Amino acid sequence: MILIKNVGVRRLVRVSVPFILIPLLAVAGTLVFDVKRNLFVSMLIAVLALLLFYTGFESKTVGSRRMVIVAVMTALCFVGRFIPFLKPMTALTIIAAVYLGGEAGFLVGSLSAVLSNFYFGQGPWTAFQMLAWGLIGLFAGVLSDPIRKSRVFRTAYGVLSGVAYSMIMDIWTVLWYNGTFGWKYYLAAITTALPYTLSYAVSNVVFLVLLFEPFGEKLGRIKKKYGV
Amino acid sequence: MRSFSEFNPAVVFLYFMFVTGPAMFCSNPVILVLSLAGAVTFFLVRNGSAHLKSHLGFFLLFVILALINPLISHNGVTVLFVLNNNPVTLEALLYGINSAVMVIAALYWLRSLTQIMTGDRLMYIFGRFSPKLALLISMTLRFVPLFSRQTAKTRNAQKALGLYKDDNIIDTILGDMRVYSIVITWALENGIITADSMSARGYGTGRRTSFSVFRMGLRDVILLIVTGALFAVCCIAAAQGSLKFGFYPALSRLQTDSTALAGIICYGVLAFLPSVIDMEVNIRWNLLRSRA
Repeated sequence: MILIKNVGVRRLVRVSVPFILIPLLAVAGTLVFDVKRNLFVSMLIAVLALLLFYTGFESKTVGSRRMVIVAVMTALCFVGRFIPFLKPMTALTIIAAVYLGGEAGFLVGSLSAVLSNFYFGQGPWTAFQMLAWGLIGLFAGVLSDPIRKSRVFRTAYGVLSGVAYSMIMDIWTVLWYNGTFGWKYYLAAITTALPYTLSYAVSNVVFLVLLFEPFGEKLGRIKKKYGV
Repeated sequence: MRSFSEFNPAVVFLYFMFVTGPAMFCSNPVILVLSLAGAVTFFLVRNGSAHLKSHLGFFLLFVILALINPLISHNGVTVLFVLNNNPVTLEALLYGINSAVMVIAALYWLRSLTQIMTGDRLMYIFGRFSPKLALLISMTLRFVPLFSRQTAKTRNAQKALGLYKDDNIIDTILGDMRVYSIVITWALENGIITADSMSARGYGTGRRTSFSVFRMGLRDVILLIVTGALFAVCCIAAAQGSLKFGFYPALSRLQTDSTALAGIICYGVLAFLPSVIDMEVNIRWNLLRSRA
């Protein structure tokens, strides 16, 4: 059961998953399985992608202080999801990613998805939500400099991540409902999800404007005071 | 005798994988109906007549999901009627109902899973895979109620200081924002102190243990073997193509050879197993109480 403690196994997972397993699965999914198994293949790929990130996390020597701050940010995301209509989750993920790095962003995004789903309903969509929020955090970490400096870029990233999240989840909706991907179904899903997409984008922008600077101050202060 | 939720969490978790797996990746209507019936029965056995709202919500979702497909897809040979120059076919309607049954069944199973898998059970299962991640998860789960308690405390302190009025909306919003700002600063500082305390006590130097200890007893092993065997039979039947069912262009016939029957019967037993276990426990409990 101790899958990731062993260094050799960990290295094997990190090499074999992205370069061998995922491409193999994608190809096999189209060739071997019939079309109805699309959902199965894509879920496996999502889970493998998450596994990849978590092996990386386990191997790095992350200080316990840094880890606790990630836990605090995840808990704040979790609590924030209870606010009706406007959800600060994505904004908080972006903030965590900008100030603590892309890896922390991925963790905050994906963990708050899986943990809050224990209240909001766990399901096969959890893997996709984790991946979607995790990737939003990861890219925010990569783009941390422009997001921090330019207010326009920050707003644009907020809008874009809201739309991207909704569109990723729509792919999942179509796959689950229909078993295979179809553009007609996808367009229908996107149009029915339009109010949600809008609310995601708006809440991202609102919370980024409201929270970005104060959180930056607080995290900066903690960094300076304790040297995280 | 234990109710289903008190079995070893790993066994319970695997059961939910076994029961949702075939229902999600196979389009055989009999399997799907069995899955839905089993899921609803188990939910009702566990919760009685509570959660009426979610039943209603699931029913509405079912109707919507069932009706979307015939409006989008125009495959199939039996045209029922023509709507805006688009034929609405019987096959597409049945396909929509079939998909809706699948979705709603999965939702019911997952509702029960969410109710059963509490934080400590989750930690018990996943703490062994990745100790660091498990710690992160358990800390987060502990922070959520901690933060709400601290928010209440801070709000009370602010009120006592006279900084917080209730009769003015703008004042309330400003006060709330001040409270949240204080709580976030406190949370971050408190986190650092927790981390230092953890390192001082030797975190990460030994093997991780978990709060709840679940034994892997004989009963758990038996349940695991039985559910695993039933699942295996379903998988073999599915792999041999006996559970295949096509909707387009015309409905295919339900296969009734021995493999298909074995798969369907095994899935039925699998789907109703937790309800039977829980009902047995309830009956035994009532008997014991009536004797006393």
